[in-house]
Amino acid sequence: MKKIDWVFMGSLFALIGIGIMLVYSATSNTDLVWYHTEWFKQIIHFAAGFIIAAIIVFLPSKSWKNIAWISYAISIIALFLVVNSGHISKGAGRWLDIAGFRFQPSEFAKIAYLMVSSLWLSRNRVSIVQPRTLLIPGLLFIVPFLLVLKQPNLSTALVFTVITLVHFYWAGFRLMDLFLFISPVASIIFSTMGLVPWSLLIIGVFFVSVRFKFPLWFIILVMTVDISSGYASQIAWNTMEDHQRSRILTFIDPMRDPKGQGYQVIQSQVAIGSGGMFGKGFGAGSQTNLAFLPEEHTDFIFSVLGEQFGFAGTLVVLALFFVLLLRGISICKLYPDSFVNLMVAGICATLFFHVVVNVAMTVGFMPVTGLPLPFLSYGGSFVLTCMIFVGLLINLRLKGKDI
Amino acid sequence: MYSNFQQSEEDIRQEVNLKIFVFICVCIVAFSILLIRLLQLQYFEYENNLKRAEENRIRKVNIKANRGLILDRNGVVLVRNRPSYQISLMYSGFKNKEIRDSVFERLLKIKDSNGKRLLDSAMLSFSFERGRWQKFRFQRLIEDAAPEIVALFEEHSEELPGIEILVESRRDYPFGMYGAHVFGYTSEISEQELELPENAHYVMGDRIGKKGLELSYEQEFRGNNGLRFVEVNAMGREMGIVEGMPFIAPISGNSIVTTLDWRLQKVAENAIPEGLKGAIVALNPQNGEIYAMVSRPPLDPNIFSLEKRELHKAWASVALDTAKPLTNRAISGLYPPASVFKVITAAAGLEANTLSEYTRYKSCGGGLRFGNRYAKCWLARGHAVLNVVGALRESCDVFFYQAGLDMGSERIGDMGRRFGLGSKLGVDIPNERSGLLIDSASYEKWFEKKGWKWSAGEILNIAIGQGALLVTPLQQTVMVGTLAAGNGLYKPHFLKEIVSPEGELVRKIEPEKIGEGKVSERTRNIVLKGLYEVVNAPNGTGRRAIVPGVTVGGKTGSAENPHGDKTHAWFVAVAPLDKPEIAVGVVLENAGGGGAMAAPIAQKVLDAYFNPLTSTAVTE
Repeated sequence: MKKIDWVFMGSLFALIGIGIMLVYSATSNTDLVWYHTEWFKQIIHFAAGFIIAAIIVFLPSKSWKNIAWISYAISIIALFLVVNSGHISKGAGRWLDIAGFRFQPSEFAKIAYLMVSSLWLSRNRVSIVQPRTLLIPGLLFIVPFLLVLKQPNLSTALVFTVITLVHFYWAGFRLMDLFLFISPVASIIFSTMGLVPWSLLIIGVFFVSVRFKFPLWFIILVMTVDISSGYASQIAWNTMEDHQRSRILTFIDPMRDPKGQGYQVIQSQVAIGSGGMFGKGFGAGSQTNLAFLPEEHTDFIFSVLGEQFGFAGTLVVLALFFVLLLRGISICKLYPDSFVNLMVAGICATLFFHVVVNVAMTVGFMPVTGLPLPFLSYGGSFVLTCMIFVGLLINLRLKGKDI
Repeated sequence: MYSNFQQSEEDIRQEVNLKIFVFICVCIVAFSILLIRLLQLQYFEYENNLKRAEENRIRKVNIKANRGLILDRNGVVLVRNRPSYQISLMYSGFKNKEIRDSVFERLLKIKDSNGKRLLDSAMLSFSFERGRWQKFRFQRLIEDAAPEIVALFEEHSEELPGIEILVESRRDYPFGMYGAHVFGYTSEISEQELELPENAHYVMGDRIGKKGLELSYEQEFRGNNGLRFVEVNAMGREMGIVEGMPFIAPISGNSIVTTLDWRLQKVAENAIPEGLKGAIVALNPQNGEIYAMVSRPPLDPNIFSLEKRELHKAWASVALDTAKPLTNRAISGLYPPASVFKVITAAAGLEANTLSEYTRYKSCGGGLRFGNRYAKCWLARGHAVLNVVGALRESCDVFFYQAGLDMGSERIGDMGRRFGLGSKLGVDIPNERSGLLIDSASYEKWFEKKGWKWSAGEILNIAIGQGALLVTPLQQTVMVGTLAAGNGLYKPHFLKEIVSPEGELVRKIEPEKIGEGKVSERTRNIVLKGLYEVVNAPNGTGRRAIVPGVTVGGKTGSAENPHGDKTHAWFVAVAPLDKPEIAVGVVLENAGGGGAMAAPIAQKVLDAYFNPLTSTAVTE
């Protein structure tokens, strides 16, 4: 039995500590009694998270295989319920009330999907030129994906996509396979940028598929799908109403709407930038204290960090995340078992995706999607998800051999 | 090669290592891009972002709710709101010291049309000093600035960064001083008031009702303040509201429809001769609705909206004025009830059967010897022998001395209490006083400190409404009106209806009976006969209250008092006598006899009430 990875644990505790501190500084000026404050609730969330993580660590690793299908089924049902009768929070039906607890089924669906996809792909490898190998994994993916998208919760739907891509990569795809696999989506996006980028993409797809000797039928299929999806998106774009177009453009580039969504991003950038190299000091952020960021303790917690602790603070936090991911993915090296590999890779990719998308959003690189920052953002369901991921990583590291 | 399921362990290990390597590379690339971006924001663009963080701010702005209006019973707007301009300083509007100093100099030089400086340097330095500590708060330089001063500042706004003109809502009184004592006034909430738990929803700078109806119905008038977040630029100017931040629209306060009849109020206001002090109350004794209430000397409610220093001056002048213009004499002024009280003495005797309409006492020869005291009648030549109706008509003191001695002070006291004397009636404006209704039982308790002992002679004073007795004009009017109407004692009130800002009825106020206020029909008829003859008999004391077309009854009074040679003039009238719908009480301090001075004033009010088209008082 391997020893506990103290570097991993150290980074984890450092991140959680920093997170609680930031939630405290972002919400302490709300004049509630202390046990109603967000920072105290966040401590409770983590306490609950640790208990669950500990339980997970002590269970045998085989359990994940055993509960994969049943938990997947339950989460699909829960997602189905929430889409049809969910609690409406900020206009998006994402919550479900069960026995007085509010939770987001999409959070737990992530874990369930991760397990079931790992289980299937550990026994059945995929190949891009053998479409029947993609049928079952594709179905397993598309059902929760569509349900989450319908909530609507685009960002979580993208998390499912990321898990799927990483799993396909781990279970047989090569990088160029992945490239060809996502090329239709890329074609849609590139077609809005103009003819030159789009043409370059199509030429690239053609070049790759010919250079790596893909079968002819596959080359024809990929080229047809790519070109037609590009055209279709062009036509759709041109037939759209102005306000629909501007909504999409604003989503991609929030700066187009400096009073609305762009406002948060601009303020977030100003907050981070005004922190300078070493920050304004704990609790001293004027941007934060004036409470201008509507979601500062959830989605924009990184801005609070940047303002109060400057580049030094953001560097340390990103370094901690990097160490955490490095130690996490290294579990794959310990065991050749593909189920363990897929689980670990899926968890690491999910955490990585959350970190990058959230930080990129706060610095104005990506649309405001509402993906929280692991271990730092306030929020019960997400804290639990993250702690379950942590518990699974520790469990697989300690007991992955017995699988 | 695409479906190689039979990989060796070494192959698998290599493949996994490659994938881990790719994952780590992706991590490094992504994190590096983020770090470069962070370095750009936090290092290369630091100065710029810091400046924006300091300049680019959100301000939470209270949106004050419109205060409810005060209307008369026919919908005439009596108190409304007007915009008021505040010249204010926002210290954060000064980019640097040079600008601050130049603004300071410019402000000092600003003069009004008379060439007088608007701001003095001591006050200005104080405001600037305070602004330095509260950079993002407005410091008021000129409160409620006149339009020409606002125009002056608007003209020079370019040269005066950091100086802004804020608009607030203040009370406006379209009828000037009329009704001022009833309406009361609003002023800025004080720090002590802010600390009270019931004022939790007020903020510094809010205006709150301080007296009169403004205080009584503050909760109705107030409404709910709104809230919005605005972005302000470096100069402290608002750039617009911020989307995605909470916006709470203000809810205007409710208006109140009063029982006041503004036509009568105006007549009453004009009826009191210039320079006299006193009060007028007109009300409906059948339900307690107050039609008009006047107190003199008048009070200008506009002084409470004045700029602070002017306000202090004006306030000092009214507060120190020995004529006490701040006092609402109709409810807080205490006067001996004088001969008007004789209706109580008469009623008490009639009810106790110590007196009947046939009772004849010793002839009045201008006075009555009681022990070693000679109590005079107001008419030196005397009234000879009168019955009770005649004694009321001619207000014969000697008759009531003897009636009082016959029945004893307790019966008089009981009768007074029955008609609301000696305690507060509960009118819905603050500072009502209870007066003093003394009989042998309460006398010694009341005057214990002074060591005064009740003596049988005291009853002579009480029987004619002098001595220790004190009433407010409101009590006096309610007393006579209730006795004449015979329908019970109703709480006098101003509130008729509460209406929402949209004009919908929120609440209607029902008359509140606070006492039986009744005597036997026989007693009432005798008293009514007395009241009738006071006004209508050839030798009645109140003949000047006659109103054509309606039977007026009334009672005069001339109160002896230590404040001057002349008596306080009292007159309380009720009409129509068969079914009273209005009672008018008038008191004029040190004005002389009630019949001569007060009765004509009551007459004007009654005339306006019953003959709105022909009344000279209305057309004036």
